[in-house]
Amino acid sequence: MRPLEGVRVIDLTVAVAGPVATHLLGDLGADVIRVEPPFARPTAHLDVVPVAPGAPDRPYNRAAGHVDLQRSKRGMTLDVAKPLGRDILLRLVAVSDVVVENMSPRVLPSLGLAYADLRGANDDVVLVSMPAFGSTGPLRDRVSFGPGIDAMSGLAHLTGYSDLGPMNASLYYCDYNAGALAALATIAAIRHRDRTGKGQHVELAMLEGELQLVADALLDYTMNGRVGMRRGNAHPSMSPHGIYPCAGVDRWIAIACEDDRQWAALCDAMRRADLRRDPLFGDVVSRVRNRDELDKLITDWTSKAQGNETWKVLQLAGVPASPVQTIGDLFDDEHVTERRWIQYTEHPEAGTVPHTRAAFTLSETPARIERAAPLFGQDNRSILSDLLRLEDRTIEQAYASGVVRDEPPSR
Amino acid sequence: MPDGSLHGLRIIDTSEGVAGGYCTRFLAGLGADVIKLERPGVGDSLRRAGPFPGDVVHAETSVMHLHLNAAKRSVTLALASASGLRLFARLLETADACVTDDPAVAEHAGRIQTHLVISTITPFGASGPRAGNPGTDLVTMAAGGYLSLNGDPDREPVRPYGDQSEHQAGLHAALGTLAALRAREGGAPGQLVDVSMQEASGFLTAGALQRHALMRRTQTRAGARPAGFAPNRLYPSTVRPCVDGHVHVHCHNRFHDLISVLMDEPRLAEPDVLAEPLGHADEIDALMDRWLATRSRREAVAEAQDLRVPMAEVFNPGEVMDDELGHLRERGFFVDVAHPVAGAVRQPGAPVVMPASPWRIRRAPLLGEHTVDVLCGDLALSRCDLTRLSAAGVV
Repeated sequence: MRPLEGVRVIDLTVAVAGPVATHLLGDLGADVIRVEPPFARPTAHLDVVPVAPGAPDRPYNRAAGHVDLQRSKRGMTLDVAKPLGRDILLRLVAVSDVVVENMSPRVLPSLGLAYADLRGANDDVVLVSMPAFGSTGPLRDRVSFGPGIDAMSGLAHLTGYSDLGPMNASLYYCDYNAGALAALATIAAIRHRDRTGKGQHVELAMLEGELQLVADALLDYTMNGRVGMRRGNAHPSMSPHGIYPCAGVDRWIAIACEDDRQWAALCDAMRRADLRRDPLFGDVVSRVRNRDELDKLITDWTSKAQGNETWKVLQLAGVPASPVQTIGDLFDDEHVTERRWIQYTEHPEAGTVPHTRAAFTLSETPARIERAAPLFGQDNRSILSDLLRLEDRTIEQAYASGVVRDEPPSR
Repeated sequence: MPDGSLHGLRIIDTSEGVAGGYCTRFLAGLGADVIKLERPGVGDSLRRAGPFPGDVVHAETSVMHLHLNAAKRSVTLALASASGLRLFARLLETADACVTDDPAVAEHAGRIQTHLVISTITPFGASGPRAGNPGTDLVTMAAGGYLSLNGDPDREPVRPYGDQSEHQAGLHAALGTLAALRAREGGAPGQLVDVSMQEASGFLTAGALQRHALMRRTQTRAGARPAGFAPNRLYPSTVRPCVDGHVHVHCHNRFHDLISVLMDEPRLAEPDVLAEPLGHADEIDALMDRWLATRSRREAVAEAQDLRVPMAEVFNPGEVMDDELGHLRERGFFVDVAHPVAGAVRQPGAPVVMPASPWRIRRAPLLGEHTVDVLCGDLALSRCDLTRLSAAGVV
């Protein structure tokens, strides 16, 4: 069995955070049905991966984000803005446990699909909403993507070099955080429903999820009136703690000493036993104070050798260290391979697609990524007739009126 | 107040530090009875992490302890002693899950209590050639690939602020623990949830992985221009200066018409710019800077949002807490929690709003505050036993 076996999730999500939440639920074994509008999937501003040999060339099935973020889901198309589409969605709600959405808080109610409407179809359904700012408060209608929230949470202000401006954490930090958090809240809400028979409307405001992650800086201000500043890779209570250059082009190694024992081991590994007795670096307070001199000494040492060689020496010595792995390095990393951290799906039009699983393995009920991201309208027929048991007449009508489509309309 | 969603579950937490603390912050906030086992007289390393009010080091006032250990109970117990281990075993009998950062504790717990969900959080996980290697937030983020995407291309990679690898590991640990608990309530046996900090930070690289494998394009760090899902196409997505600070602009090309109207710069929506925005990044920055140079964050964001252009203020932590926009105040996000030593502490509240099973707001425990309750109550030890254990340094 898989952990979320028997749980059916309707996925009405867009962008990044919502799809992360639902693919995590799918990876854990939930039956996730992604409901998309029956219109062209925009690809103009997206990366489209190359077509697999012999497959039909339909770029809208191969956006890089789509083939990763929509894995572990079935997919159907449905125009929920039309009465028949709304009706079909509510019939889907009736046989599901959870609905996940991350649109602006105005959208679902404007479609007649507010939580009360969903409950009309299924009294104990769980609705998980992931608005940027929440459904209340003066910012509720602001338009924002994840990176804007990284700016508003304080994270961007605190990230970067001490002599340069603020910098966002790369890619979609806020979205991935909110996605995992929403998956967690979903399982909690399912447990509550199983125990009490009561569903609920769960709300995860992405900003509030992210403010959990910078609490030390927020509370330092509350308690001490101190406004934190960027400090590169420097650490308040560890030194050395940095990214040091290695031989080769743009190769780096991370080294951090948590205590005096690791510092002594580093000195020995550098064949600089003399540094252990140097009063400049005698304890962590001195090492933090004399960080710049220390970093120069370490740089002299690391820049003479390949990162992997230095790393092996430090690994043997018991010093926390790792080469800064590039994305390509991850595919060649024995540790990554042995832990099957990167898993693959076979996508009929995009070929073999790599995915990172969540950061855990389960020994008895493993989470496996098996189902490739759905093609446009891939599971329309099976959902409409096998799952919902709609009459042929209704299905024909849905197709005839463009409420459901197996192919995007040609322009 | 209604029960939380994890009401009735008991979690024994032997972890120290951010990752384990963050994991069980979720489980406690969601209503589980989290019992933190702390070393007698010393306690969780979070108690020493700071920052501290007035910069005075005190085991009860470290802000990371107050934040992460909220709503947990604290029992002191020396797991290194034989009688400590016996009590640990008896506590596990009453529990549903055990969260630890010590593989030896996990193995011990798994051997004596097969019904349990046991979650271990370690730098590189419990299997594979790097298992057992030491690792910090910085080191695991380097190993996970995410660090290579952060920083200026002409400088060394730079770590996002604040132990994010540890935080993400804690979040994934809570997710894995809850998934395993659900499986167990559905009839599956207890099991090991093996969490890796390397994988937690590496989870953030998704997108880059597909582009590398399928498009032969390896993303690297791009400064304040983070590469998105479409690095050749998506721009502006960056931080730019204005009169009183910085703003963040995130406009993929369905917003280009709007931003060109907003800034009255037709150039921003001309076909060659639209076709390859990132290739015109310097030019786009210069055009935006001209507009931003006469506006405060507040003015710029207000004008942008009027046109539905995604622009946001870069706030510093003080501005976040002062909440000039009043949004977080109206939502009641920050909570004032009374603490016997630290006083009233304003801190982040619920990460998620669950009306039927509300997030639990409760202060962090004093060191050993619940030792008597748990050992004499749940385990039925006598006061006399407790005095003996205390004298021996076990509790």
